[in-house]
Amino acid sequence: MILTGNKIIKEVRNNKIDIFPFNKKRATTNSYDLSLGNKIIRYRKGIIDPRKKVLYDEIIIPKEGLVLQSGEFILGHSEERIGSDFYVPIIHGKSGTARMGLFVHVTADLIDIGSHGVTTFQLYATLPVRIYPGMLIAQVSFWVPFGDIILYKGKYQNSIGPQVSQIYKNFL
Amino acid sequence: MKNNIQILHMILTGGKIIEEIKNGNITILPFCVDQINPNSYNYRLGKSIKVFDKFNGDKAVFKSIIIPTKGYVLKPCQMYLANTKEIIGSSKYAMSLIGRSSIGRYGLFLQVSANLGHTTSIHKWTLEIVATKSIKVYSGMIIGQVSFWKNFGSFKKYEGKYGSINYPGESFTPLLPSKLYDINRK
Repeated sequence: MILTGNKIIKEVRNNKIDIFPFNKKRATTNSYDLSLGNKIIRYRKGIIDPRKKVLYDEIIIPKEGLVLQSGEFILGHSEERIGSDFYVPIIHGKSGTARMGLFVHVTADLIDIGSHGVTTFQLYATLPVRIYPGMLIAQVSFWVPFGDIILYKGKYQNSIGPQVSQIYKNFL
Repeated sequence: MKNNIQILHMILTGGKIIEEIKNGNITILPFCVDQINPNSYNYRLGKSIKVFDKFNGDKAVFKSIIIPTKGYVLKPCQMYLANTKEIIGSSKYAMSLIGRSSIGRYGLFLQVSANLGHTTSIHKWTLEIVATKSIKVYSGMIIGQVSFWKNFGSFKKYEGKYGSINYPGESFTPLLPSKLYDINRK
């Protein structure tokens, strides 16, 4: 079923879960807390067409933080590299984040087994909210799979920093 | 002990999904093995989409649109309903149906909050869609993923009113807040 925080610590030590950097104090009862990396991506104005590459800007979040306006959507990333060849990770907001009306993903919380890299956050603000680099913003839980495992070999493997959608590759 | 181990296993791997389709415990129609992921299946967008238009008295009226070949642009902060191209369901497992990460990365909410699919409901799923950025969608594009989860405990068959709907189905609950308030008080 779902791993406890203590089990996550054990499985990191057994190399069955990849969390780097790892600090066991960030293990919660049923998850591990993820911090926000300092780079974000903002799409430029216009209509997104999944068949084409889109234009965007990369921005470094200053130490004093960055205000997201209500209705604003950007991509962020976890400081940590995460993944597992043995368990299925699922990303959740921290409740403190969600209570500010901030989504950390808008739909895709499920991560494939065998996918390793920093995770991209799909940040959507419903209220004006200030985000800081290094803030604990999300959490990841790990679930036990049923059946033979075929590892992920997809287009977002070994992500560093936030990754824009690469869906246009499906239309080539 | 063996039983306990079985309970521990939870979300089906791609290989197990294929196996259970062959066993008749999972339905995905049409099925294409290329759309299998390590622990989910990629589904496609159906042919039509409904956009919330106006209220007619207490009834929310949606306009139905056939998605043209050149695509259809979803506008921010509008509520849309669509459906999966595939008939998806299971007589044995519970399901979670969400968008794919490539769509989430463009700020598209797919399932506004109700991602849970009940065991024994088998149909073309209604998709609840809200865009945060203007985005074009195409009929038949791979838009989301569905995962299958083991049940713990015996279950009764799903007899809800949405289980046999194969088109973008509106809510049976009246949308006006005043009405919802009345329903909640009853």
